[in-house]
Amino acid sequence: MPGIILAFKDYKLVKPPADALIKNTFIHSLIKSPWVGLNNFKYLILPTNINVTLTYLRNTVLYNLLFMVVGLVLSVALAVIIFELKNRFLAKVYHSIFFLPFFISWIVVAYVVYALGSFNGIINNFIVPLGYAPIEVYKQKIAWPFIFLLANIWKYTGNGSIIYLATITTIERELYEAAAIDGAGKWKQFLHITLPHLTPVIVLLQILAVGRILGSDFDMFYTLPNGSAFVKDVTYTLDIFVYTMLYSSLPLGYPAAAALVPSVFGFVLILITNAIVRKVRPEMALF
Amino acid sequence: MAGRCFDAGMMDASMAAKVFSFISVKGDPDMDILKRKKKQRDMLALPAGVNAFFTVLLGILCILTLIPIYVIVISSITSESALAADGYRLWPREFSTRAYNFLFARGSIVVTSYQNTIIATVAGTIITVLMVGLYAYPLARPNFKFRNFFTFYAFFTMLFSGGLVSYYMVTRHILRIQNTLLALFLPSSFSPFWVLVMRTFYKSNVPSELIEAARIDGANEWQTLFRIVMPLAVPGLATVALFSAVGLWNNFFNCLLLVDEAKYYSLQFTIYTTLNNIRFLLENADKMPGIVNIAELPSQTFRMAMVVVTIGPIVVAYPFFQRYFVRGLTIGALKG
Repeated sequence: MPGIILAFKDYKLVKPPADALIKNTFIHSLIKSPWVGLNNFKYLILPTNINVTLTYLRNTVLYNLLFMVVGLVLSVALAVIIFELKNRFLAKVYHSIFFLPFFISWIVVAYVVYALGSFNGIINNFIVPLGYAPIEVYKQKIAWPFIFLLANIWKYTGNGSIIYLATITTIERELYEAAAIDGAGKWKQFLHITLPHLTPVIVLLQILAVGRILGSDFDMFYTLPNGSAFVKDVTYTLDIFVYTMLYSSLPLGYPAAAALVPSVFGFVLILITNAIVRKVRPEMALF
Repeated sequence: MAGRCFDAGMMDASMAAKVFSFISVKGDPDMDILKRKKKQRDMLALPAGVNAFFTVLLGILCILTLIPIYVIVISSITSESALAADGYRLWPREFSTRAYNFLFARGSIVVTSYQNTIIATVAGTIITVLMVGLYAYPLARPNFKFRNFFTFYAFFTMLFSGGLVSYYMVTRHILRIQNTLLALFLPSSFSPFWVLVMRTFYKSNVPSELIEAARIDGANEWQTLFRIVMPLAVPGLATVALFSAVGLWNNFFNCLLLVDEAKYYSLQFTIYTTLNNIRFLLENADKMPGIVNIAELPSQTFRMAMVVVTIGPIVVAYPFFQRYFVRGLTIGALKG
């Protein structure tokens, strides 16, 4: 919460005098600093900065949308397929394996990216003997959307499918039997029975995801590119931007303001989305 | 025969009608019903071809999922010369476990980080379970006057937060926990998501009659909590503990933001700086016996071995805890 106040003030360090009530330097400085209204937010849209801000904004939103859509489709698909497999032992083994990447930290993935994509990595050792030009992922911007997408799928599909799998198991079998007798094939059964049952859960999770649309998975975007400056334009998101602002010599008000934008925006977006859902289907709304 | 089927609960009227039509045509009625039942149960299964296709497809995807881990492990047992000559391979020319010999030498930075991470994980998990369990319990009791307020308060922080700078300021300048072990686990210790999951868990697993019975028998609130509710809440709390432990083990961000001194690094942060920062390695060369010549980079296999010991505990413990993870997530999800 103090950070929220920081966003609207021009923070100047003021040492508290010996007889002050509040001994904490930071809080004292915060109180004594002048209010500047929305000035700190203007830093982001200064002509010198606006391109950078827009680029990172574009990155954040596009990646989030991509992950939301692809992640949803794949998680649901995985849940349905695992549920329908005949061999239950294999289904359990598969499910365990798909769930495992969730517990592996992003730095390990960064190592994998290094081992696969660096100059003497595994991918190069395959394609160079075949005559293709070697890749150098840390210098090539085009690779990174694919890398992030694959990494995100790898890590979160298993985790996401659990909730959908749990929901599918609660659907009564008689519905499927009745549909099968009436002549519905597996695909129609999926469309008209499984999907409507999953819709409340999907809507709930997507409303929450929409609230995070200007945020990002900091660990992934920060560690995978391994500090490479060549690919900044496609790997930086707003969170990382705020982080770099924090560690630069900028006045503290600027990153505070920049950090506030995703929160406020996401919150407003959740309220709007929730209101829309409440109009269409009240029982699926978040609140 | 149809009567017996009704008793078995397997068929309804429409099915029975179809069965009847078959019975009058075919041979032994009983055998036919057995065949019919089996076919009807299989009616819902995937066609054999589709099933085989998906089984194989998922198998391939599983192998692909495991390849990243495989790459790390196999690189760590490659000999350094083979790695330098051929680069990374799926199957190296020469094997060697030399990297592991150096890994746990005394004073190594890995040992320090391992200790820090273990302490942080244990302490953080205990704190998280306590805070989440105790915060969620009153929210589940219907006669707690302020429960809506506190539920909303926790939920609100899930949707809206002050952002990175707020976090940085509060932890560094108000709480002053930078460069201490507390920095590794304290900030992550309250999770509103798990509070909501635990609240649902309490509501569905601790019937209010039980609490009333305890009240009638003369128990005060604390006794009710510890003697009656907690034993019932153990599965939920175990889930919270497991997820918190894994989250703390993998935590990288707290260390990135709050810790500057190498002796408080967490394991993830150590392997990150190893991947990234040559200067860091040179400065800490005396703590990393894998280096032969200070001017050289520490061996790549040593770095891979570090990564292996980082994910090792998780991968090893995973088969044992996996069903608790799944069960815990579904408990929260289904009834929430």
